[in-house]
Amino acid sequence: MEASVGTSKVAAASVWEVREGEIRRPGIIHVVMMALFAGVGIVVGTLGSLAVPVGFVSAFWPGQAVQAVGSVWFGYWGGIAGALFPLVSNLLSGSAPLPVSIAYLPANFAQSMAAGWAFRVFRADPRLRSGRDWLVWIGIGVIAANLFGSLWGSNVLVVFGLVTRAAWLKIWAGWFVGNTLPSLILGSLLLRFVSPLVVNMRAFCKRYWA
Amino acid sequence: MAVAVPAPRRMRKTLLGAVPMTSPFYALHPVTRLVGLLVLAAVPLFIYMPEANLAFLSLLLVLFVGGRVDLRGLRIYLPLVMTVAFFMFLVVLLSPDYASGYIPIHLGPFTTYYQSLRWTIASYVRIMAMLFATILYFSTNHEREILVALRTLRVPFAVSYIVGLSVRAAGMFMEDFRVIRQAEQARGLDSSSLRLRDRTRLYGMYLVPLFTIALRRAEEISNALAARGYSMSGKVLTGGVRHDFVRARYRLRAIDACLILLMVAGLAVVAYLQVRSGWFGLERSPLLMAWQRHLGGTG
Repeated sequence: MEASVGTSKVAAASVWEVREGEIRRPGIIHVVMMALFAGVGIVVGTLGSLAVPVGFVSAFWPGQAVQAVGSVWFGYWGGIAGALFPLVSNLLSGSAPLPVSIAYLPANFAQSMAAGWAFRVFRADPRLRSGRDWLVWIGIGVIAANLFGSLWGSNVLVVFGLVTRAAWLKIWAGWFVGNTLPSLILGSLLLRFVSPLVVNMRAFCKRYWA
Repeated sequence: MAVAVPAPRRMRKTLLGAVPMTSPFYALHPVTRLVGLLVLAAVPLFIYMPEANLAFLSLLLVLFVGGRVDLRGLRIYLPLVMTVAFFMFLVVLLSPDYASGYIPIHLGPFTTYYQSLRWTIASYVRIMAMLFATILYFSTNHEREILVALRTLRVPFAVSYIVGLSVRAAGMFMEDFRVIRQAEQARGLDSSSLRLRDRTRLYGMYLVPLFTIALRRAEEISNALAARGYSMSGKVLTGGVRHDFVRARYRLRAIDACLILLMVAGLAVVAYLQVRSGWFGLERSPLLMAWQRHLGGTG
């Protein structure tokens, strides 16, 4: 157990460590990856909103999983894609008009970047190899991120008059659960099984921009 | 004797369907249409009076019909329109806002308040107006036109490239998703009869191939861009600006300039009237005021 934890720590450190002589610079591939990631998010977000709509929120929004893993793999590129793709997916699914989607931006950015920040600061392995990696992922990347996102988003709905202040608590709870569950299920799946492929790619960001 | 066959109607693919090439919208420059989106989506923000927003919705319907958009394509939004209404009115019924002086309305075992219900009605109509303004834009524009509009507005090349590629990529992934779904159906899977738990697992199975396709495409596209000498600055290697072939195909005309000025002025007037004098406030709604008087409140 100790040996596997030690190995995991070494493996985790090597994923984020820039090796001697390695030059990492933002390039076209990061821009392209951001655009394609936003495209995946648009598809996943639109279909998720249409599949299980509950008024202005979705009972199960897989787009949050895309937001969270994006920043873990691609730093700010993934975070920006995660913040912006809901603008388009909300419009295509009809779940929120443009002004409301713009008001959601801080929430979407926080939901996207929290995991990316946490994995880099705490040097957690994106392949979720140890209990510590899972703790960072679930504690910050899923729960804390969606706590902020749901608080902001539900208050936006109140400000625009889409829900009453008296109903805010129920709306917030629905938003929190509807984002946390898919992030936990689908995000974990992606990190566990797709991260081994991504960490060897040129587009993988060891820091925030490259 | 040869039978006369009517010439097929040429259609232009848009983000939400297809529109005939003869649509009046295509006489306008893409930047005019983009400004139209921004103005039409923003106008309802300043209008609280349901009658005014309903009139605005009627205007949008005229634009849909005049623009030759197939209204049958809007049917996919019907469930959403109905669930939003159901959700909003259920919330106001079960958890209405209350303050001193609110007029109670008793509906069976439930008690709500006129002021709370009034706000919900106004908000619902306002949201629908904003939503259909956005749907109008996406029903009549292709991603290339969004790109042209952004570049005409001198948005940095990198930003317009990202927007264009994102929207194009969404179309590609939708197609990939359709292929995956068709393969499932060909193998006898009926996803509509699945429970939520099984649909969740199914989503996970879609995500992994979509992501791996995205990763592979990113490598291919960035290599192709590098091979053609593209950089995110929009400049060529010799330092000059790359010729914008796509933008060169559209010309801004006097009618575009007039329409843009008219729309921006209209938005400014609506905003000014509401902010300064509350012209479009709930207190000026004849129907709501009549209802309030009927309930016994002053209005």
